[in-house]
Amino acid sequence: MPETVSLVLEEVSEEALKERITLRKVKASVDMYDQLLQAGTAVSIETTHNLLDLICLYCDREPVEGGGPQTEDTEPGEGAKKRKIRFQQSLVSPKCTWEENNNAERLFNVLPERDTRCYSALIRGMAKHGAYEKAFSMYTGLLNERLKADIHIFNALIISAPNVREKYTERWELINELLTHMKEQEVRPNLLTFNNVLQALKRCGTVAKSKSLQTLYEMKALGIAPSLTTYSYILEIFSRTAGVVQTTSNMLPEIMSELSGKSFTCQGPNDGAFFINTMKMCLESIDLEQGYKIQSLLECGENWRLLGASFHQGIYYGTFFRLLCEREHIDVVLKWYKKLIPTHFYPNSQGLGKLLQALDAGNRLDLLPQIWQDIRTLHHEDKSHLVEELLSLMTRDKHSPEVQESFAACALDVKGVFEIVAHGPPLEWSPSSLKNITSLLLRANKTQQAWEVLQLFKSKNRIPPNQLLDDFLSACHSSGSAERALDLVRLSAAFDLPATAELAKRTLAEFQLTEEQRAILSDLVSVTEFSD
Amino acid sequence: MYRLLFRTVYTARRSSVSVCEWTVFPKAEDDGKVDNMATRVEEPVVLQRDDGGTIKQQMDVKIEQIIAKPKKVKTDGVKSGKESLLDLLGTMKVDVTNKRKLTNLKPQQNYYTTPKSEQAEVATVEASSKKSETLDPELVSAASAAASTLPNRSQAESALLMKLRQHEAIAEAQKKGNMNNLGEIIADMKVTKLNRRQNTGTYNQIQFDEDGRGYKQGVHLLITLVSYSSARPTLWDMDYANWLSNSINLMPRNGLEEMIQWTKEGKMWQYPINNEIGLEEEASVPFHEHIFLDKHLKEGFPSQGPVRHFMELVVAGLSRNPYLTVQQKREHISWFRDYFQQKEDVLKEADAC
Repeated sequence: MPETVSLVLEEVSEEALKERITLRKVKASVDMYDQLLQAGTAVSIETTHNLLDLICLYCDREPVEGGGPQTEDTEPGEGAKKRKIRFQQSLVSPKCTWEENNNAERLFNVLPERDTRCYSALIRGMAKHGAYEKAFSMYTGLLNERLKADIHIFNALIISAPNVREKYTERWELINELLTHMKEQEVRPNLLTFNNVLQALKRCGTVAKSKSLQTLYEMKALGIAPSLTTYSYILEIFSRTAGVVQTTSNMLPEIMSELSGKSFTCQGPNDGAFFINTMKMCLESIDLEQGYKIQSLLECGENWRLLGASFHQGIYYGTFFRLLCEREHIDVVLKWYKKLIPTHFYPNSQGLGKLLQALDAGNRLDLLPQIWQDIRTLHHEDKSHLVEELLSLMTRDKHSPEVQESFAACALDVKGVFEIVAHGPPLEWSPSSLKNITSLLLRANKTQQAWEVLQLFKSKNRIPPNQLLDDFLSACHSSGSAERALDLVRLSAAFDLPATAELAKRTLAEFQLTEEQRAILSDLVSVTEFSD
Repeated sequence: MYRLLFRTVYTARRSSVSVCEWTVFPKAEDDGKVDNMATRVEEPVVLQRDDGGTIKQQMDVKIEQIIAKPKKVKTDGVKSGKESLLDLLGTMKVDVTNKRKLTNLKPQQNYYTTPKSEQAEVATVEASSKKSETLDPELVSAASAAASTLPNRSQAESALLMKLRQHEAIAEAQKKGNMNNLGEIIADMKVTKLNRRQNTGTYNQIQFDEDGRGYKQGVHLLITLVSYSSARPTLWDMDYANWLSNSINLMPRNGLEEMIQWTKEGKMWQYPINNEIGLEEEASVPFHEHIFLDKHLKEGFPSQGPVRHFMELVVAGLSRNPYLTVQQKREHISWFRDYFQQKEDVLKEADAC
């Protein structure tokens, strides 16, 4: 539990103001500053800068407990969500959280002399919290005062440029203008500048492709090495604006060959997204070779660290695994399955569904019970579509006796799952699942259990199909229980099935029955025949 | 006599080195054993030296070695200085001379129950000094005596104490064995100081991971970011560095990687164990340059009086300090030389020369 920190210095002084700034107490520091101004004491320019930074960073609100503009949560679940939002770059969203006439602006206007850093703090804060128009007007004010902007101002303005213009061409013109200003004011761009340009270009439509290449040339001329984020943006630009996937497949191999074997350090928060985006592209174009190259790049050096938290790892590996299931031979798929799960990620139900399909395609259905165990471990047994698919795959063909045995055991397990009320309502019995389970049990000669499942049909108001009843009758015949056969016919009569007559006739013909039983059966036959 | 001194002093140095190492190693349990070893080694020195006045100083050595454990005391908080002293006492052989030792120990014990109470004690000794918790009160009282001859007593006192404290801080740093990473230490000190006053886990400049592993890397990131821009890191830079360190996975994947990380940070020893790791250059410096510092007092200082007495204590303390290099000791003494020479006219007025 975080302890509350109380302030030490209480008197109105610059020291107290500095203390509040270091402790990031926004409101307290603003109050202290106002008090200082009223008392007439001059505050040093350094402290003013820090104060403005503080207010603009937190948008005049207190940093949230365990939150704040971009801080970590203690819970991994929440943190994952927050990080997910962050990955999508909150700067792109037009939602404006910058209030009108808040303390930052007020203090700014009150300042006797404003230098670049004050402007910088304000512009960055506005760009960060969504007040893009204001950021630009502030920039104009800076130009009017004949001040030079610094690199941070330009970075912030470039990233917010697409939010202040509607048309693609206008957006690019604005960015171009900013870059020209940068050159005039002799501000040297850095990696972040170029990444922001590319990110803004993503929203500039058709001009993006040529301009992005130009940006790359500029970077090369300045000697700034592109980072993973740069490559990621370029690939996105080229894959999105082109309707045809072909273009991507030209770029990606080149980029991958360029990057192969290199290990990277984190130069920007979105570096890990490179892997995820490229893997998604590979999945769309089902390019297995590139997928392997990306995976090998990830395993090179410390690159895996760039993926970040388990949430992003899950996305990446899930995509990779899906790609494998699509194309790769089942043995290789199983090899990767053992390698990746559960050490690197937990697959979701779609991934497991894909795995089942791959098993089917690769004719390894005998592994289904093991996969069922994994499904249970991963707690996906409550996904009905997964269970259905599993059961239907098991029931579809007849297999060798050992395999049938294992399938029957698995079916019993599945039946057990249907009855668990652990988390929320239990699974719904569908007719197909009931039928599948019953037939699986029958095939393994577990007649008693099959009979119990058959009773469930009645209790859950589902109709057993004819084929199933026929099979059951044959099973009864092979096990020689006439009593059971009789009960079966009675059951189907209770359901009022049209097949009852057939069943009764068959029973009469095939089984050794007592007189009493014969009588009952003949009654049933006549009843059903007459009811048609 | 000399041979005995040589052996005992040599072993004294070794024992103090091992005390140093014991503070670095994170899982030292046999603290008591170390103390006992230190005591047993010290005893012959005590028994041989028959100068009555210096027995107290021997106590100071022991007690300084106990001070050498304030890290340990602070970190586990289980053993207070008093407890370790009691351990010491328990292992002492019952002897005639021990009675003197005991009687000499007891009044000193008051100073060393805990670092905090020590602070209180020192505060009563010196009303003006604020944070002399790690300074030997003997030294402090001697400093006050020397400074009392000067007109501006409190100022002189604080100047002298500050100097001692500074050197103490560097000695502490060297004790930690991280002299090469002084920059990191300073960054560490700054950041940890802020930590004490901030909420952990929320406004930390660089966020703590579950058990603080991401912390140091965050500092590294910050330092690299700062080297980007020539100015000091602003709030924006810190926020960016925080964001970066959150988006990448800095955690070790298993215990082996964790141990590798710790070895790189210096938290774990490097195997195979080398007792004298970090002390390679010191191996070439002969011991007598550390011990016999009287020769530096030959010129520049008066030969009698409170100043001389103070300087002799300084030299005595320095001679037992295994954490400073010879150069640092000489600088220490020359600082005092300059200081007293500056104040010479004042001293003459007060007839202290």
